[in-house]
Amino acid sequence: MKKITALIFGASLLLLTTGCEKTEQKEEVVTYKYTTAEVYEQMCVKCHGKNAEGVPEKKGPALNDQSYQELRMGIMDIKMGGTSGHSAGTEHEVMEHNMKKIREKDMDYDTEAMAQYIVDKFQK
Amino acid sequence: MDKKMIEEGMEIIDAHLKEQGISRRDAMKILGLGGATMMMGSGAATEAKAASSSAKGKILIVGGGLAGIATAALLMRSLDEPDITILEPNEKSASYQPGQTLVGGGVWSDADTEYKTADFMPEGVNWIKEKAVEFNPEQNSVKTSGGKEIKYDYMVVAAGLKLDFARLEGLGVTETITSRGDSSPVRKVVGQNGIASIYFADGATDTWTQMQKFIADAKSGKKVKGIFTDPDTPIKCGGAPKKIMYLTDARLREAGARENAELTLYPNGDKLFGVPEYNAAMFDQFAKRDMKYQFKHNLIGVDPVAKIATFKKHWLEKGEWDEDLEEYEMIPASEKVQVPYDFMHITPPMIAAEEIAKSPIGSGQGWVPVTQETLQHVKFPNIFALGDIAAVPMGKTGGSARKQYKVVVENLIAVMEGKKELPAKYDGYTVCPLITSIGTVMLAEFNWTGKPTPSFPLDPAQERWIWWLLKVYALKPMTQYGMLSGRA
Repeated sequence: MKKITALIFGASLLLLTTGCEKTEQKEEVVTYKYTTAEVYEQMCVKCHGKNAEGVPEKKGPALNDQSYQELRMGIMDIKMGGTSGHSAGTEHEVMEHNMKKIREKDMDYDTEAMAQYIVDKFQK
Repeated sequence: MDKKMIEEGMEIIDAHLKEQGISRRDAMKILGLGGATMMMGSGAATEAKAASSSAKGKILIVGGGLAGIATAALLMRSLDEPDITILEPNEKSASYQPGQTLVGGGVWSDADTEYKTADFMPEGVNWIKEKAVEFNPEQNSVKTSGGKEIKYDYMVVAAGLKLDFARLEGLGVTETITSRGDSSPVRKVVGQNGIASIYFADGATDTWTQMQKFIADAKSGKKVKGIFTDPDTPIKCGGAPKKIMYLTDARLREAGARENAELTLYPNGDKLFGVPEYNAAMFDQFAKRDMKYQFKHNLIGVDPVAKIATFKKHWLEKGEWDEDLEEYEMIPASEKVQVPYDFMHITPPMIAAEEIAKSPIGSGQGWVPVTQETLQHVKFPNIFALGDIAAVPMGKTGGSARKQYKVVVENLIAVMEGKKELPAKYDGYTVCPLITSIGTVMLAEFNWTGKPTPSFPLDPAQERWIWWLLKVYALKPMTQYGMLSGRA
């Protein structure tokens, strides 16, 4: 019994001594082949429009009315297949599929950089 | 108790202590004082840091759950002249929600998860037991359910979320409810006749009753079906829909009746977990336990009398060739699928309270839009949001709130001091102690990188007994004495 008590306290101690002050994770360095502008011009423009105004016949929604934060949440949802971290799924089922194609073409892009590009370029 | 498990646990602790340069004897000396005392006393090592500030201003906190109270407590300790008001109508608003899974699985009882908010309300905070019903952020004012108008200089929104059982056709529920508080509009049907939900406290108690009936049926030789749902909205504790399934599996095995029950998860998405490493581990765990899954099924209706659940099953169909993408166009398709059940655990759709969702501080989706790192409102720099109501990815757990409240306090004080730069950043850290049986837990820690971020040098995809101990014995006192007092 004593050992079990010790274990319980030990388990608490584990979290107390590391849980709160986690050491920085090593950031994985990802390099992208194309700039966000190049990716937008080649991959996004046909469905989301020259001014990110949306292209209804291609079912691509407007992006020029979304805030930076909304855009990055949306992109994250697409790239990770959902933002729940679990099994709730994505709001962008079709785009999640298309994103796989975009990656296959080496046209992957940085989430924040793309959101920033759309804001800077189309929301003046 | 298995001797091997104890040995493994001690090895893990020893390895960790060695790395920290503490001997086991010293550790035990600190620990000898007793669990709770130890956690308060040793706060010094890990205490949430916020330099004492002479900044002034009237701070209004909307919501007195775990996030709201922890924020208030840390602000009280960080400001020389704090002026803090909390709006919270519920006397039981602070509770230990992670324990509801254990209540549903018959490990704990409701009393283990219930707190009195009054016991944790920091001294000096002005607690108004009313609800905020109208938000006028341009005028820095809020109207309450009692007709008061409250002016503030700074506001923190920590109002939590609502469980929307009303969206499910056939249940006859028309109101949304919260985790604690009056659950009667829902409890008349959820918690009866084979339907269960651990997402509200009374529902957790009823889940154990319903689960025992289900197990008794299986034990009597009847072939029974248990189904577990997971909706298409963001939910709090994304692991819980699966944890309760693992616990059902464990309880059936304990009763020697597992072979008579078929257990199937019906999630809206197409994964068991969003992090590939944990997802792979869970596929193995499901296979070993003969737990089944049917992806892309969203629960939309229930016939509680006939015991039939209706799902919207959805998929993508190949359309025409798309020249631009060099791929077939994908067209969403769906159909209704009816599934009979003997026992069903519902994870209800979840929403932000309407009065906030539709207010100027809300958003199209309802959740309060904040910059995800700083937790500052995207439109109003004197407003912050945290906890379940904040529109951040993966944020709806107590483990996230435990990181977020320190970020909010540090950044809020910076705003109060007139600083341009917000110093603190949240990285999306969250933790899911995924209960995989009675006695084992996989401690799934991750953040917005979508990769495991383990706090310990151990394979995080393993189910371990020591994490069960952590979940069942250590996390509650940590929340109670660490987080609610704004210390850890």
